[in-house]
Amino acid sequence: MSLPIIILVIVVMIALYVLSVYNGLATMRTRIQAAIQEIGNQLKRQSDLIPNLETSVKGYLAHEKDILKMLSDARKMISVGQDASGKISELLPKLQIVVESNPEIKGSTVVMGLMDELRDTSDKVMYSRRTLIDLTADYNIRLVTFPSSVVANMFGFKSEKGLETPTSGEFLKVSQKDTETPKVSI
Amino acid sequence: MINVYESVDANKRKSAIIIGAFVVFVVLASVLIAKGMAAYYGYQSSGLEFTGIALVISGIMSFASYYWSDSVVLGLSGARAADRKRDFNFYTVAQNLSMAAGLPMPKLYVIDDTAMNAFATGRDPKHASIAVTRGILDKLDRTELEGVIGHELSHVANYDTRLMSVVVVLVGLVTLLGDWLLRATWFGKGRRDRNEGNAGAIFMVLGLVFALLSPVVAQLIQLAISRRREYLADASAIKLTRQPGGLISALKKLGLDKEPLEVANKATAHLYITNPLKNQEGGINWFASLFNTHPPLADRIKTLEQMS
Repeated sequence: MSLPIIILVIVVMIALYVLSVYNGLATMRTRIQAAIQEIGNQLKRQSDLIPNLETSVKGYLAHEKDILKMLSDARKMISVGQDASGKISELLPKLQIVVESNPEIKGSTVVMGLMDELRDTSDKVMYSRRTLIDLTADYNIRLVTFPSSVVANMFGFKSEKGLETPTSGEFLKVSQKDTETPKVSI
Repeated sequence: MINVYESVDANKRKSAIIIGAFVVFVVLASVLIAKGMAAYYGYQSSGLEFTGIALVISGIMSFASYYWSDSVVLGLSGARAADRKRDFNFYTVAQNLSMAAGLPMPKLYVIDDTAMNAFATGRDPKHASIAVTRGILDKLDRTELEGVIGHELSHVANYDTRLMSVVVVLVGLVTLLGDWLLRATWFGKGRRDRNEGNAGAIFMVLGLVFALLSPVVAQLIQLAISRRREYLADASAIKLTRQPGGLISALKKLGLDKEPLEVANKATAHLYITNPLKNQEGGINWFASLFNTHPPLADRIKTLEQMS
């Protein structure tokens, strides 16, 4: 094989590589955008779901003021655009206790259904975030590792933020209290 | 302590090495057996056309089971489609995890059997199905179920059905070739005057040795690949759920379940989360474990515990 052909083959291979990296990065960037929308989508689902759940279990849980209060708090948080997953995970164990101590409620499929739906909706928001985190990590890794980093620089791909989390603060520290084993009293 | 990313990468690397070794072995075995055939037939043919024919036959035999893998297995298993109301946890967990993995939602089935097991099949993520038994849905809680579904979805995401089908085709190729050479030499003794000299004799002998041993060796490597893909699916499941505890406790419960799954057979065993035949659980020694489609549960649990 003569030299020009070898050079031609190498050039074509490099061009194909650049093309595939470019397309890969552009695809991933689009998927990251979609993942962000998915989080919004799941929060929207949650905000449609919780008021309905609240209405449907009100009658069953009339005596459980605490629980109804938390449920309506969750609904209020969602109505102003906040994510209520934290509130829900606080609510679930309490609901569990009520259910266990009250055979009548335990038998009611409505309340059991409420628990299932609450757990599912907070899972869904969590997993939609997981998608965003994983996609962004994969994308950002390609941006900084050789040789794809060269192509990324060439076309000016910028790193994606992913889930915006403060990079400093209390949550990065472990206090003395956190190191102690929690005591569970039953 | 290994983090999930390292674990997934390490498993992919090891898996690629075994697959590479398998391909090298298959090529070597087919060439040597083909040479043996060529020597036997007095170099009237290169022997390579036998390899071609064997590949085509083996491919055709496996194509159906690959292309229709979902409907074949599901038809055999007597599964019913899952619905959101009846199988709330199964349905929603699969929905959430396939979203997290960026996969289309697979078709979901429930097998009416009290044995605890689950499997995934389908030629690519668009045609994937996941089936679980009634028993597993009844005995696992939501977190444990997430581990199991995560494992099955990882099989889908890693294209394990496709990989194992290719492996099966290649094992079939080697087996067919070996079989032909053995038959030819067995039935055709002294049929022809052969004066091909030393090289021919060496290739004859090498070809015969490989014809005898290759099918077994190829199957052993196939099983090693299957076991490695199980470890990979475990690790990828944890990458999805970030809750090793769930899968660990699910595997422990699965280990306690001694009931074999009636609808499973040897051909589909590698698809399940644990060996559905239960024939080799307990007292596994090193030699017996070579013939397993799944690594011992204890080893899988130990590996997962290192991640938590």
